[in-house]
Amino acid sequence: MNKFNQFLVALVAGVAVFVAVGFFLIAGHRGSASLTAADVVAQTPAAVGKGAPVDSAKCIMPVDYMRAHHMQVLDKWRKDSVRKGTRTFVNPEGAHFDKSLNTCMGCHGSNPMFCFMCHEYANVKPTCWNCHLSPMEVPQ
Amino acid sequence: MNQNRREFLRKAGLGALAGLGAAAGLFPAFALENTDLSVFSDKPVEGKVRWGMLIDTRKCLGDCTECIVRCHHDHNVPDFGKSKSEVKWIWKSEYEEAFPTASAQFQSPEVEHRRFLTLCNHCAEPPCTKACPTEATFRRWDGIVSMDYHRCIGCRFCMAACPYGSRSFNWEDPRPHVKELSNTYPTRMRGVAEKCNFCSERLVKNELPACVESCPQKALTFGDLNDTNSELRKLLAANQTMQRKPELGTLPSVFYII
Repeated sequence: MNKFNQFLVALVAGVAVFVAVGFFLIAGHRGSASLTAADVVAQTPAAVGKGAPVDSAKCIMPVDYMRAHHMQVLDKWRKDSVRKGTRTFVNPEGAHFDKSLNTCMGCHGSNPMFCFMCHEYANVKPTCWNCHLSPMEVPQ
Repeated sequence: MNQNRREFLRKAGLGALAGLGAAAGLFPAFALENTDLSVFSDKPVEGKVRWGMLIDTRKCLGDCTECIVRCHHDHNVPDFGKSKSEVKWIWKSEYEEAFPTASAQFQSPEVEHRRFLTLCNHCAEPPCTKACPTEATFRRWDGIVSMDYHRCIGCRFCMAACPYGSRSFNWEDPRPHVKELSNTYPTRMRGVAEKCNFCSERLVKNELPACVESCPQKALTFGDLNDTNSELRKLLAANQTMQRKPELGTLPSVFYII
C-alpha cells in the first residue's frame, strides 16, 4: 500500500470516529428528556400577536427548569415588558420570544388543563386568573 | 511501537481534526463564540417617542359611540349599571365639563351642545403617578401613563389626583359585569383602579389604538409628538388646537380642534 492510500484510509477512519461520537452524544441527549401528559403541547404556536419576534414552537427553557421557575420567569417578564420595555427574551439556544403570557399560551393554551393539573396537585392557588383569561375561559 | 501503526494513529488524528473543522464550518454555533446579546439591548430610549392624539371635534358629532363601544369591549371594561360606580376609559363630555376653564362666554350654540370625546390625557407631568404610593401607575418611556394592575392596592389617590376624571375604580368584581369577554386584554379584579392605556397592547403589534381605528369619521389622529414629520405634528402645526386644563401644567398629550 502506498503512502497516499494509507493516508486516505486513516482520514476516513478518523472522520468515522468523529461522526460516531457525535451521533451518540446527540442520541443520548435526545433520549434523556421524558414526556408526561402535561408536557404535550401543540407543535405549531397558535396565532399570537406579532410583537417581538417568536421563532420557535418549543418551550423557552427545558421542562425541568420551567416546572421549578415558571413563576419567577413570568414575574421577570412582566417587569421587563411593562416597565422597562425590553420585550425580547433570548434563550440559551439563541431563539427569540416575546415576553408575554400570550407566548406561553400560544402553545400551552391548546391544553386547557395545562396549568390547573399541576396547581391542583400541588394545592397552590395563584391569582393569575382573577384577571387574565385562563385557557378554560378563552373563546376558542 | 510499529512505525506503520504510529503513522496510522497520527493520520487518524488528522482525520478527526479535519472532521471537527468541517463540522465547525457546517454548524457555525459549534466553532464561534456566542455573541453577548445583552450588548445589543432592545431597551427603548427614554423620551425618544411621545405618543399623542388629536381629536377633531368638528368631525366627531352626533350620538356616535363607535370608539367607546369598541374600546370598552376590547379592554373588558365592566358595566356595573350604576353611574356612581361607572368604569370608563373613553367617554363623551359637555363643553364645560371637558374645558371648564376655557372661555365659554357668548359661545356658539353648536359648540355649546357638542359632546367632546374625553380620555386619559397621558400627561407629560402626570399628577396621578406622583400620588401613587406603590408605583403601580407610572409614565412609560414612550409617554404613556401606564398601569400595573398587579401592584395597585386600591387606595384611589390617583383618582383624587387626576384633574380629568380619567380614572375609575372597581368597587365590585368586574368579571361578571363584562358583557362579552374579549381575549385581547385581561380583565381587572375587585379593588383596583383602571384607565385608558393608549392601547399599549396594540402598539406593540404595530396597530393603532382601537378608538382611532374604529372611528367612522377618521376624527382621531394618533402619532408621535416628538417626530416633526408625523401626521399628528403636521395637523397640530396647521390647526388651532386646545388641551384640557392647560393651566395646571400637566402638559396633556391629547389635543382638540374645536
